[in-house]
Amino acid sequence: MHLTDEEKRILDGAFGEPQRIALNVLSKLGEAYGADRMIEIASAHIVACSYQIAGEAGIEIYSKLVEQGARVKVRTTSDPGSIDFARWRAFRTPTEYAERQIKIAELLGKLGVIPTWTCTPYTTFNVPKFGEHLGWSESSAVVFANSVIGARTNRLAAYIDVCAALVGKVPRFGLHLPERRRGEVLFELAPDLADDFEDHFFPVLGYLVGQTVGDRIPVISGIGRATFDQLKAFGAASAASGSVALYHIVGITPEARTLEEAFGGRAPAEHIAVGRAEIDRTLEQMSTGKADAVDVIGLGCPHASIDQLRRYAALLEGKRVHSGTELWICANTVVEEMARKMGYVDTIEAAGAKLLVGTCHNDCPLGAWNFRRLATDSGKFAYYTPTTVGTECIFTSTEACIEAALTGRVARP
Amino acid sequence: MSSSHETYQCKGCTPGDFEGEAVVSNQPFGFWQGIDPGTGGVIDKRHELCGATLKDKVFVFPYGRGSTGTPGIFLEAVRNKCAPGAIVNVTSEPMIVMCALLAEAFFNVRIPIVDGLGGNPRDLFRTGDRVRVNGTTGALELLARG
Repeated sequence: MHLTDEEKRILDGAFGEPQRIALNVLSKLGEAYGADRMIEIASAHIVACSYQIAGEAGIEIYSKLVEQGARVKVRTTSDPGSIDFARWRAFRTPTEYAERQIKIAELLGKLGVIPTWTCTPYTTFNVPKFGEHLGWSESSAVVFANSVIGARTNRLAAYIDVCAALVGKVPRFGLHLPERRRGEVLFELAPDLADDFEDHFFPVLGYLVGQTVGDRIPVISGIGRATFDQLKAFGAASAASGSVALYHIVGITPEARTLEEAFGGRAPAEHIAVGRAEIDRTLEQMSTGKADAVDVIGLGCPHASIDQLRRYAALLEGKRVHSGTELWICANTVVEEMARKMGYVDTIEAAGAKLLVGTCHNDCPLGAWNFRRLATDSGKFAYYTPTTVGTECIFTSTEACIEAALTGRVARP
Repeated sequence: MSSSHETYQCKGCTPGDFEGEAVVSNQPFGFWQGIDPGTGGVIDKRHELCGATLKDKVFVFPYGRGSTGTPGIFLEAVRNKCAPGAIVNVTSEPMIVMCALLAEAFFNVRIPIVDGLGGNPRDLFRTGDRVRVNGTTGALELLARG
């Protein structure tokens, strides 16, 4: 891999230990994956910021970096933490646990990381533009930045993202190369399905696509329209059930204005027809529990947008969450603040639902709640919560989730 | 332990030299939600190795699966001296390679990884075999059957 004179000096330690360590890791990664050189990134987004992920190893690493005077070189935002910083006691987080997360927050602050604590940095201060190179982790944010915005980032891992932030560069391979962004597998929606494509089918289709392609690049044809929130839900599901880092939806995402463009003029390696039967089969797989009493509902995975909070507020207006059932809506502080100004938060809280801010059901310790059955409208939650929260999980539409919160019972879709 | 010696030429992904007992699976593995970093034990209930320990073992499995949080758990295991000593894959995904690069950078621990194992792990090795892994040359030696 070619290194510039400045990069060689960084590796010789001329710019200090943090830069040397970071570039050393990134250049070795580049060599392992055939990168020709390093490229500058516009921003970083880091996932090793929750205590659940970073743990004591993270505290040790960050303490050392801070001692050595490290600072991030580019705009860098943080993924969710393991606590709601304002309300962790109300969410029954053990004090010692919360203190370790607060310690990580202090250290990241000293490194210059913007404390967004969100998996949707693109709804805050980290909004990439088309064609821009990034150093992001957080699978749902990576897939959104690549697919919906057309920015370019590989799926970085915890701490590799920190290395990228410290150097302001990443090795150029994979999705940074235009020829590696072309579609590989074509999913064709049957016309009757496409005509009646319901809101909650987006995460279902994402789940199906992720399961099918693994880390290959899927192209979906037949979808006529999709909102910001639907694309967010689709991508998050595909990145959880598979390792999708980039998808194309013909006529909707920016690198797929036509089918030809999506495949870069080549023929798809595989064609997959998707009809109502495939959607129903995937829906079935996404729930692990029986339709019955539900004790917790999880909305806002990935973190809710302002449009979603408006929608939840409208559905909850004048209603009351069933006693013995918790409805938690995950969001970031920026969106929360706007929703508060708009009156949505008052409506949501008046109904007995809670905003869980800067974290989510997946990231914070919920042992004290003894939850047994969770309902969600998120394909990513459906994939992870049986392990992370340890509950049964029912996946269903947003409306059915709210209905479950009001009645205390959930139906399988 | 019966004496036996075979050498396989694999591709070295991360440097280092390690000799130890093999733990072998034909199932892919994700460290995130897969391992207890305090003990090195496998905790993924859906995995055939659930209950086994990876601490100081040569972990032989087809490929890694996983969340971008993987190095978080992996480095916690390294810090606790409970990580595998070496990894042998059929195809090593970037996440696993990144884990080893970070272990050396931040904890000065070398975990050699080789990939390109030509066949199903359990057709070639058994749990308990004595194995030596050279991540620099890619040499993988079966020293003795377990």
